[in-house]
Amino acid sequence: MGRESTMKPDYQILAYITTEKERVLSSNCLTLFADSKKTSKEMTVDIAKAMKADVTQLTNGDYMVLRV
Amino acid sequence: MEGQFLSFEDISVIITAVIIGTLARIWILKEDYRQYPSYPNGYLIHIITGFVAAALGAVAIPAIMGKNFVAVTFLTVALQQFRDVRKMEKESLSDLENTEYTYRGKAYIDGIAKTFESRNYIAFITAFFVSLTITIIPLNLWVNIIAGIVVGIAVVFFLKNFTKGKSIGDIAQVKEGKIEIKDSSLFVDGIYVSNLLGTDNAEKLFKEEGMAVVIYPNENHFRINLDNFGQRQAALFEATRALGNKRYHFTRKDYEQGRVVITLVPIKQDIDALIEVVKKCPLLESTKKSHSVMKTNLKGE
Repeated sequence: MGRESTMKPDYQILAYITTEKERVLSSNCLTLFADSKKTSKEMTVDIAKAMKADVTQLTNGDYMVLRV
Repeated sequence: MEGQFLSFEDISVIITAVIIGTLARIWILKEDYRQYPSYPNGYLIHIITGFVAAALGAVAIPAIMGKNFVAVTFLTVALQQFRDVRKMEKESLSDLENTEYTYRGKAYIDGIAKTFESRNYIAFITAFFVSLTITIIPLNLWVNIIAGIVVGIAVVFFLKNFTKGKSIGDIAQVKEGKIEIKDSSLFVDGIYVSNLLGTDNAEKLFKEEGMAVVIYPNENHFRINLDNFGQRQAALFEATRALGNKRYHFTRKDYEQGRVVITLVPIKQDIDALIEVVKKCPLLESTKKSHSVMKTNLKGE
């Protein structure tokens, strides 16, 4: 959704779930490694449900849980 | 002692003007599709403030006729009262922002608050003109009262049409949009909307129950209004308010052709109602920029 030009972006990345170890970097959000695609999907859904957040899947297959 | 009491004529003028002014406020307080104010307490508050506005308009002429020029300064109290009505509405709606399906947005709240303020002026002006007409016509009192009522009705009609704004349906076509989901991204009529549908559940929910409309501006310059964030937020708010919102609501503008997408997963599945409510969403005064677009509609067509 768009926003007014002066409005600060109000989204927050809550978790990043990846299946590639080298993409697990330290950051403000929780970054988790999953050993398979199936596990990463399950982890994402569980976290999103618990945090009442939205999920986006990146082109590389990783998941990002965020609140907009 | 006799001079301390109002004459029968003055009482007739004031009572007639107050009644017509209050009725004018009640008439324009109708519950519309926006469902606001749709509660008994909301009605009561606005009828009472309308009554006070009418009373202030009604006594102005008898006060001047009685050479009581100091009393006329209470008109400043009227202005203050109307400003307070606007402030009250603004605060009340702002307090509700976090409890709604989506935000009304500051622009829409400002528009609603201005409307409520102006409606009090309508009650005030109507009562003033009724009072003036009855006082200046040199005929029988009952004839004067009837003339005052006729003038009052004419003034209300004029002001109602003068303050009547335009809606999205006046400057754009609203059509149903086709929803597509590709790799967690949502598209409506080929316009990218969001990529927040990353889970199978989200995808399934939107595919099965999602609804979308696309707004096509009639002229290119109407995009100035429709692209405005506050305007799109108002349309989205009205959509969620009318149909409910199960999950997800998005608005997106298409830079190339100026189309605007409103999409959501509603509780009530009624695409015709969605189209209608977006069409009837008022064009916000704060987004009005072009004189050719926003020529005030004096005839109320």
